[in-house]
Formats: sequence, C-alpha cells, structure tokens
Amino acid sequence: MAAQFHRSGTRGARWILSAPLLVFLLLVVAYAAFSGIETSFQDRTLLNPEPSFTGFANYATVLNDSTFWSSLGFTVFYTVAVTVVELLLGFGLALLFDRGFPGKRWLLSVIIIPIMVAPSLMGIMFRLILNDNIGTIPAVFKAIGSDISLFSGSNVIPLVVALDLVQWTPFTFLLLYSALQSVPQELYEAASIDRAGYWRVVKSIIVPLIVPTLVITGFLRAIDAFRTFDTIYILTGGGPGTKTTTLSIYIYKVLSGGNFGVASAAAVIVALITLPLVPLVVGRITRGALANL
Amino acid sequence: MTATATATATAPVPAPAPVPKTKSRSHPRARLRRQRWKGLWRTAVVVVIGLLVNLPFLNAICTAFRQDGDIATSPFSFANGLTLSHFATVLSGSGYDFPRFLLNSAAIAFGTVVLVMLIAIPVSYSIVRLNFGGRWLLQSVTALRLIPAMFFAIPFFLMFSNAGLYDTVPALILANTFLNLPLAILIICGSINEVPIEIEEAATIDGAGVYRSLFSIVLPLLAPGLVAVAILVFLFSWSDYLFAVILSGSESTPVTVGAAFFVTSAGIAWGNVSAVVVVSVVIPLVFAIFAQKYLVRGLSAGALK
Repeated sequence: MAAQFHRSGTRGARWILSAPLLVFLLLVVAYAAFSGIETSFQDRTLLNPEPSFTGFANYATVLNDSTFWSSLGFTVFYTVAVTVVELLLGFGLALLFDRGFPGKRWLLSVIIIPIMVAPSLMGIMFRLILNDNIGTIPAVFKAIGSDISLFSGSNVIPLVVALDLVQWTPFTFLLLYSALQSVPQELYEAASIDRAGYWRVVKSIIVPLIVPTLVITGFLRAIDAFRTFDTIYILTGGGPGTKTTTLSIYIYKVLSGGNFGVASAAAVIVALITLPLVPLVVGRITRGALANL
Repeated sequence: MTATATATATAPVPAPAPVPKTKSRSHPRARLRRQRWKGLWRTAVVVVIGLLVNLPFLNAICTAFRQDGDIATSPFSFANGLTLSHFATVLSGSGYDFPRFLLNSAAIAFGTVVLVMLIAIPVSYSIVRLNFGGRWLLQSVTALRLIPAMFFAIPFFLMFSNAGLYDTVPALILANTFLNLPLAILIICGSINEVPIEIEEAATIDGAGVYRSLFSIVLPLLAPGLVAVAILVFLFSWSDYLFAVILSGSESTPVTVGAAFFVTSAGIAWGNVSAVVVVSVVIPLVFAIFAQKYLVRGLSAGALK
C-alpha cells in the first residue's frame, strides 16, 4: 500500500495510462475469445462462410474421433516424460554449476543457447542431423554397425522425447541454477562443520529449499510441452500414422482441412484441460511483480 | 540470582581473541595454481553437455560451409574445402525469397517490440503506482499467456481474414503482441516495484504530475529492464511459428515458416537449408547473448516462448 499514490488527479491518469491495454484486450483478445467459442458451436468451414448454430455437434465430432484420444494420450505421455526427465537432468546440471570451475561463466552461455533457438528452426536442424542419407547421427550408428531406423514406429516416440531434452533441459537448468544461487552459503558451511556428506546436504538442505522453484519450473515446462507444435510438426508431421500427433498438431490438421467449427471445438476442449493449472502458476509467477500491491 | 545476573552484566569484556593466523602450509602462489585447476572435472563434463545440446546447431553450421559434393559423400567429409556459396545463394534470393523472409521477420519482431512497449509501459505504471485493477488485472493478463495459443490462432485467422489483414505484417505484429504482452507487463511491473517510491514523492512535492513522474523520472530508471524486455520480445516474436504458419500466406512469411519451404521442396539442397537456418538462428542469438543476464529473470517471470 505504501507504494501507491493517493493524491488528487490520478483517477483520470490511471485510466488514460491503461487505455492502450484495455483497447487491445477488448478489440483483439476478448473478441477473439468470443469468436473462437462461437465458432465451436457452428458448422463453419472454408466452403461454408455463412454458418449456422449446430449446438454441441462439433464437440461430439471431436470426442468421437479416435485420433483426438490418441493425440491426447500421446500429448499427456510426452508432457509428463519430458517434464520429469528435464527437471532431473536440469537439477543435476545445476548442482554441477553450483561450484566454481574453470570456464564456468563462458560455459553457462554455451549451455543456454538452445533456449534462444526458434523451435521450428531447431526442428529443421534435427531433420538435417537425423537424415538417413546425409545425417551425422545415422552415419555414427552405421559406423558402429547398428542398423537402427530412428523414425520407425517403435523408435519415433523415444526420439521426439530425446530431442525435446536437447532443447529444453537448458531451460530447467537455468531456472534451477538461479534458485540454487540464492541458497545461503552459510548453510553449506554449517553442514560441512556437521560433517554431512555431499548427498546428505543435497537431500536435506538444497532440495527442500528449491522445491517451490522445482514446482514452478515443472509447471512452466509442462504447459509448454502440452502445446508442443513446431518441432514435432516439422520433424515428423505427426507421423508415422498419428503416433506423434500432439493435440496442437491435431487441431492444426483439422484447421488445414478447412473445418473451422470442429477445430475450434477441439481448441476449446484443450484450453479447458489446461485451465485447472492456470491459477496455480499465475499466483506464483506474479508474486514478484505484485510485491507491494 | 540477582547477584549473579549483575555479576555477569558487569563482568569485564574479555579482550578480543587474537586473530588466528591463516594456515599457510604451502606457498601462496602454489595454492592459487591449485585453486585455478580445482573443479576441472566439472569443466570437462559441462563441455561435453554443452557440445551435446548444441550438436544440431554445430552440425548445421558445418554443413552450411561445406561443398555439396562433400555433404552428399559423408557427414564428416571436408575433402573439397569450405565454401560461402550456400550463403551467397540463399541471400541472393534464388529459389525462395529468403531476404524477404528475413525482412518480414525483422519487421514483425521490431513492430511487436514497439507495440508491446507502447501498451505495457503505461499500464504497468498504472497497475503498480496508481493501483489500477490491482492484482486482478495483472493476474488475468498473465493467465492469457498460459492458454494454448492454438485456441486464439483460429479466431485470429477468421478476424484478420475478415479485416483484410490476412497475410500481412500488421496481423502478425498484433498476434505476437498478444503472445508477449503478459511477459512484458510482468517484468516491467517488477522493475517499477524496485524503483524507490521516495523519488516520485519528492517529484510530486516539487509539483510534477503523474505523466511528468512517469516519463522524466521513472522511465530513465527503468531503462535496463526495458532493454531486457525489448530483447526478449524480439527473440520470442522472431521465433513464433504457430501464428506465422496460420496467418501468413506468401507475402508476410517470416523465416521460421520460410525456412521450412526449403526443406519440403523436392530434392532438398541441404547446404542451402543449413545456410538459411544458420542465418535465421544467429541474428536473434546475437541480440540475446547481450541480454543474457536478464534472460533468467525474463524466463522465470513469464511463461516463456
């Protein structure tokens, strides 16, 4: 409360300063949200520009589509797998960085480069390195006498999970490392006086202190993994068959087929699935910005 | 009881213990040398991990500089030496108009940065200092970022088509502004929170109004945070693929979508593809490297990407 002015003449100013956001929210966001929900109840397609209300028909179409359910299954598995593994690997890497070593600062910059690469461009680079004829990875496999087909039905899911680890482990690492840096050094010193071993220190001191960061990092990663589109779409197109079709790819394919109504219904369903997580994450990430409110 | 307490209280302060001499069993310089090499095994492990996560990028860089013949022969062949011809080919715009994709990406990213700033700076000041909307407004804006973008992509497509904005740069600027506003508002609100209120109170006593306070006093103090926001917004709008693939046809295509054109065409020229990807990745990377220290804060404050 102390951080606010309660003086005369600010009533108008607060509205004027907020006006650009309010206009944008109203004209773009609210309108789009309304129109998206409206479309989900219409038989709107590319060829039918004058749609009529069809009730829950589009929702029924989506929920009766076996591809929707297999996409949901794959997306949930993918989200849980990459989130858990990336938290573990990121935490391990953060512990590695939590002591001084030669070249640390420079190597930190190198490790976080993948975060700054557009996922779609990363997808193209994956295609290049995994290409059967000219790719480095298949060439290495051939050299060691393994005739593995990376994109085959049985290998493709572990493959896309592994590729996600390559790009996003640096992200979990970065957030967890910055949390480790705020652990008071005295705690380590006290622990070493008590002759606690390293892993004991990790288990009893570090982990409890950074649980909140682990949780928020996990949520942020899970929300992004759940809507994965670019990398997998460019790499496999959702195939073979529909094996790597995420919900976003599923919606995009329905949309590309010109069926706006069904695509909107699927998008509404996916948004509803994510909704329960939203308040948890919002409360946590707005805390710093709202310190004085 | 009282006697002992008084005695304790009046007891003479013990003379400070002599500072123990630091153990110096070895020569200081030797110790320094040992310290310098301490943790070298960590360096080794981290170098390997750094190579591993950057392998796709390194591989693309290598391919981009190799001759077509070598690329076809083996991933490790440099027999015919290095070449810049792939970069020359794609930057001269033969085949697909890559220079145009680059210009589109730059226009979309710069336009988004400007629009985001124009909207986010005043409203953040209004939220933090004038208590506009309180927690509620900031939290709902943040929540927007967590809803799958696909949910908004479809109505955006319909809206922009109706408004005649489909396949234009302004449409992509609006879509990317939507994506990046929550992050920008969060970071700027956090930065305004850190500015000591006393400075503005003093300015008010001296007769400065709200706008004068914001533009002459708060804004210059926010400069480092605003630079960070600008770079993050630039990076994320440069990286957008979902909105670009849905809202652009042929005119407003940015590099993320345009680069994929080179792959899906018949008879992939991998050297050219690599050059396209390397150029597209390096440009925002250069900006982002400078903003590295803000990256942690930006990434943890907003919902990334």
